[in-house]
Amino acid sequence: MAQYADIVEIVAPGEAVGGNRVDITIRIKNNYSSTIGIMAGGALEYGVSPWPNINFPEPSANVDGEATRSFNGYFTMPGKKVTIHAYSYYYGADGSWHFDDEMTKTIDIAEEIESQFGSIEILSYSRR
Amino acid sequence: MGAVYLPSQFGLLLLPLANVQVKPGDKLRITCRYSHIGQTDSQPLYAAIGNEGWAGFNEVLHGSKTISVPEDSAWDYHEEYVDISITTAISAGFYDLYAKIGGTFPKVISPSLLDVVEVLADIPDSEFGEISITDYVKV
Repeated sequence: MAQYADIVEIVAPGEAVGGNRVDITIRIKNNYSSTIGIMAGGALEYGVSPWPNINFPEPSANVDGEATRSFNGYFTMPGKKVTIHAYSYYYGADGSWHFDDEMTKTIDIAEEIESQFGSIEILSYSRR
Repeated sequence: MGAVYLPSQFGLLLLPLANVQVKPGDKLRITCRYSHIGQTDSQPLYAAIGNEGWAGFNEVLHGSKTISVPEDSAWDYHEEYVDISITTAISAGFYDLYAKIGGTFPKVISPSLLDVVEVLADIPDSEFGEISITDYVKV
């Protein structure tokens, strides 16, 4: 259980094609009664070390008390199933970021479908 | 006038198709709808005017252009057009129309629309044949 920055959800697709960009959202709730600084982070576990980071263009924000904020991030899908590790941090009175919560979600590798055409029909024809 | 048979709850439905009249110098724009699934792709969209026969489609004029197809994770429909330039290589008369996607080995071919294109005779350039005096009066 988080002390202040509670990760309530990771929004991400269930599967993605290797090499494609995957957009995710981490929703973090401020459990504190007033505004505090909250930061999101993340890493990808799929058998490489160190775990690659997830990019968050705007990783931190001041979040009102009891409010939930969405932090958008993205990464390139590796060629195998990946586990997202999402982290939250809060900004303490000592002027440092403190790790607070973690949540995971797995994204399966999607099979890439070759281009196929099913049918074609002429809708209209006109003189130009 | 051409027509196509379409399946319906009453059996096959004969749907008459309007003719379009063209003459050399015109362009005929053919708009097609096709279905696609899978990765992005680039393929020629090709359409031809000619005559459908027992041995296939005898093309007289054709047009083509490369279309860029987006990635479709499920079957989806897209629309595109292709123009055929009408030249003097085609003589006056009624012609059929078909379209396809792909090159030498088409990915998909449309049903032919029969007798939907009427090519009009080319109007010749201005010429003068003779002149004669028909009247003369004082003015």
